[in-house]
Amino acid sequence: MTPLVAPDPLPPVAAAPAGARRRPGRARTFVGQVLARNDGRIGLLILIAFAVLAAFPDLFVGRLETATTATGRSLQPPGGGYLFGTDELGRDVLNMTVHGARISMAIGLMATMITVVFGALLGIIAGYVGGRTDTVIMRISDFFLVLPTIVLAIILAPVILDIVGADAELFGIRATMIVIVVVIGLTSWATTARIIRSQVLSIKMRMFVDRARVIGSGPGRIMRRHVLPNVINLIVAQAVLTFAIAVFTETTLAFIGLGDPFAPSWGQILNAAQSAGAPGLGAWWYIAPPAVCVVLVVLAFTLVGNALDDVLNPKSGARR
Amino acid sequence: MTVDPRDPVGSAAAEIRGRRQWPLPKLADPKAPLLVVDDLTVRFRMPAGSVKAVDGVSFRLDDGEALGIAGESGCGKTTTALSLVRLLPANGRIKSGKVELFGIDLVPKTESQLARYRWREISIVFQGAMNALNPVQRIGDQVGEPIEIRLGQSRESARKRAGELLELVGIPRKRADAYPHELSGGMRQRAIIAMALACDPAIVIGDEPTTALDVMVQAQILQLLEQLRHDLGLSLMLITHDLSVIAETCDRVMVMYAGRVAEEGPVSRVFTAPRHPYTRKLLSSFPNIHADRRTLDVIAGALPDPRNPPPGCRFAPRCSFAMDVCREVVPPEVRFADGVRVACHLFPTADTAPLVQASGPSVPLSIGRPADGAHEAAPGMPAPVTGDRAP
Amino acid sequence: MTHPDGHGVVPHDEAFHEAEREAAAAHAAAHDPGLQAPPAHPAHVHAPGPGGSPVAADAPEILRLTGLEVHFPVRGGLFDILTRRTRGVVRAVDGIDLSIRKGEILALVGESGSGKTTTGRVVVKLTRQTGGTVTVDGKDVSALWGTRALRAYRRRVQLIFQDPYETLNPKHTVGEFVMEPLIVNNIGVRHERMGVALAALDAAGLRPAADYASRYPHELSGGQRQRVVIAGALVMNPELVVADEPVSMLDVSIRTELLRLMLDLRRERGLTYLFITHDLSIAWVLADRIAVMYLGKIMEIGPAEQVIRTPRNPYTQALVSVSPSPDPPAAGARAARTILVGETPDAAHVPSGCRFHPRCPLAFDRCTVEEPPLFEVGDGHQAACWLAEAGPLDLPVIDAVQAVGGSEVAAVEAGVAADTPS
Repeated sequence: MTPLVAPDPLPPVAAAPAGARRRPGRARTFVGQVLARNDGRIGLLILIAFAVLAAFPDLFVGRLETATTATGRSLQPPGGGYLFGTDELGRDVLNMTVHGARISMAIGLMATMITVVFGALLGIIAGYVGGRTDTVIMRISDFFLVLPTIVLAIILAPVILDIVGADAELFGIRATMIVIVVVIGLTSWATTARIIRSQVLSIKMRMFVDRARVIGSGPGRIMRRHVLPNVINLIVAQAVLTFAIAVFTETTLAFIGLGDPFAPSWGQILNAAQSAGAPGLGAWWYIAPPAVCVVLVVLAFTLVGNALDDVLNPKSGARR
Repeated sequence: MTVDPRDPVGSAAAEIRGRRQWPLPKLADPKAPLLVVDDLTVRFRMPAGSVKAVDGVSFRLDDGEALGIAGESGCGKTTTALSLVRLLPANGRIKSGKVELFGIDLVPKTESQLARYRWREISIVFQGAMNALNPVQRIGDQVGEPIEIRLGQSRESARKRAGELLELVGIPRKRADAYPHELSGGMRQRAIIAMALACDPAIVIGDEPTTALDVMVQAQILQLLEQLRHDLGLSLMLITHDLSVIAETCDRVMVMYAGRVAEEGPVSRVFTAPRHPYTRKLLSSFPNIHADRRTLDVIAGALPDPRNPPPGCRFAPRCSFAMDVCREVVPPEVRFADGVRVACHLFPTADTAPLVQASGPSVPLSIGRPADGAHEAAPGMPAPVTGDRAP
Repeated sequence: MTHPDGHGVVPHDEAFHEAEREAAAAHAAAHDPGLQAPPAHPAHVHAPGPGGSPVAADAPEILRLTGLEVHFPVRGGLFDILTRRTRGVVRAVDGIDLSIRKGEILALVGESGSGKTTTGRVVVKLTRQTGGTVTVDGKDVSALWGTRALRAYRRRVQLIFQDPYETLNPKHTVGEFVMEPLIVNNIGVRHERMGVALAALDAAGLRPAADYASRYPHELSGGQRQRVVIAGALVMNPELVVADEPVSMLDVSIRTELLRLMLDLRRERGLTYLFITHDLSIAWVLADRIAVMYLGKIMEIGPAEQVIRTPRNPYTQALVSVSPSPDPPAAGARAARTILVGETPDAAHVPSGCRFHPRCPLAFDRCTVEEPPLFEVGDGHQAACWLAEAGPLDLPVIDAVQAVGGSEVAAVEAGVAADTPS
């Protein structure tokens, strides 16, 4: 008997009509729940827009303009066929910004995958196995937690580039981009691991884990089948937030000159604008589009992450 | 309903009211009984429709008396108690009926008017409340809080009073500075009781107050409640599925089934010579270490669907004595000379049923049905009607 | 009645009348001697009468614990964990000996902190003992550990959990839950597994089993869920079942049905139970023998009838006296209650001598310095108390509160002293 709660007036059996004894379409209601929230709706809308831009940039603005294919005059203000104006080389800022979405979001996606895979894996192992394993993983995570991203990138970038060569490509991805992805992954897996570990610690004490052990399930199966489904909500929410952080970090790194000069990510554009003296020349149109895009994407991910967190959190009562 | 709200208040009650630290509410009728609940109906709005969790419940609680409300989970016992001070969940409403405290009907009161009575006149000890103490606040401060807020006392006097209260429930005054984690479960439950007593209430409702505790601690807490009732003239309402708690502490018991009263009366009568088949089943399915036979009865079936209760007696589908009339007509409440009220068609009027001789030796309960399938031939039970049953 | 949780399984909106008919049929079955399934389903739980267990005295011993110890280290900070250094120790189980014969029900009774649950966890290999041995069928299995090594063991020893709400995964159907042990242990092929699972559900009284197998836990009542949990243990066809408070979360009426199911299963499948409970009354209803634990030690063990009726340890005596009973005290039939002061101390600070002596109303000098072993006080009845050293002795009835302090406050204060903050 829980105080202050109506004594469950519906017998559990009566709750399900005879024919409809199927699981309610969880995926549908789940997306529906995210969409039912304002933050979820706005966030998703922005993300879908950017995803489409990133997927088919040529369709909207044509091929990426380079110094040789540039059509405009230097630092032309918005208007006259150039919606966002041009840069110092006469390239269309709109064209670059749209193509930049592709690079920025690709980096974000890769960094997120690294972060979430490592973070979730180490978090679950640390939490479930416990003992010395836990202590060691958590101390290592402490180290990475306090590691400054930018300093690490400055140190690692030349090292990695020296090893693989600046022009090396890995699965079609340029080495400089890999550096960025690795740096972002290294510095953000620790947060994810910590959050997931703390959740696993409480799941480990639940009876269904004991039951799984008693019927002979090994630790691998228990982590896969019983622990993972119970932290998947955290993982999803964490992934979304990590994506936002990754896009932001990439921008920062590119801005301070650690980006790939041949891949016009938003950070690269900002960096180029700065070195071209755009702020001093009052060429705001050169800075604003990529900056606003970064802010929008980060905001959108935060909104969606927030909505997901609420919807997926069983304690919020939104589900059931 | 057989309760007469105009029953005069006896001298015992007057004596108990004389001990009050705070005056009676302004509107109180000093001659009125402490608490009269008449034909109370509580509804819950559910996604699947409206549900009557409490359906026409009446009872009375006198000064210094202890009433136990028993029944399976989902029978409406907690809802009944919480609706007295309207601590219902958001989808619950009192639909009809009266809750008269000192003759003041609480049902039409607004939320702010009711606040005067909540905790000051009627306080509640919840199940597992000892785990709901604020972990970062000292016990003494938490006990003193209602005194400060509800009674508008100064901080110092609230703290002083908190110390007295803690001592009253058996926690040494010097432990008032302890944090909840420094106290054992039993001690914390004592602190919760001290909080319930803080405003010197007329009625303390205990909602499964000992359920989460160990047997020995449970015995200690029950002993404490008994003593407080005696010393302070408290009136207790104990809501529990544990019949032994009621047997130990209460004067009267009200057995509820599916939102209605099945049987109500003095513990000494109801528990030794139960009339309602549900009461009998409940008692005989309770493991009793002090009884001779190691047998336990089974109540087959489950509570009826509250959205669509059986039209007649709600226990009829599970009752081994059910007759045709039980499935169609709601049994009326009949009051017997020994103070027991029963709602069962086996007892259509007060003089139909032969009773156990009150003067005779206490009759042991016939626990369980004989294995040959014959009906229990318990004293005081009329022979069940079998003619209408399918072959 | 022969069907589980009755007509609760019939959707009400669909056919209330069907429920009614079913009820009528059930009643007819219950009342017509001809229709009633004769001795296989008696109308009430009936444990063996006085005189002890139905288990033959020469039945083989299935489980034996010898000097079992579980000491949990109390570790401080990072350094302690890395170096595996301990500061202090919680003596959850502190040297217990017991044995269970095949087909027997042994109830392990104790308050919280008595170590009863830890003992059960050691038997099902969820917790590792730090000392002593566990023997199953005469084979020492103490050192057995790890998923693979325990595979065969898990099939023979199963656990029924306290909370069916916690044990069942809300996202799995009943069928999936019951089949999981078979999948994990690679027993049978797919369609065989379903058959085994259905048989287990049927044995646990969920009929028709196929209907239940496709349901989700939220569609079941508390009693039905606990039956599913039982079916999930039965599917492995175990010999020894450790039941950890299997009915404490359930309503009184449902409780009885499940206890009866457990008795039926023992009769039909020859199961052996280690039944862990805080409720002496339930132990008394169900068990052949009862072991009473206090702070990691067995205080008394013996045939249920003897332990309850003639307790030889003051702790057991007190527990029996405060055990719930629906008899109103006015009847005068009840013995005086011995309400002990204080609460079970922390297992990190076990008192010297007899660990019960600070709360024992009968304690004397020797109890404070020397720990009593289990003394034989009757046929298979042993008590760990110096008063039992010379053989069976009827304990005097004591009102502990008066014996200790005379006033409630003083008594409670004594309790506070014993109650060590963690």
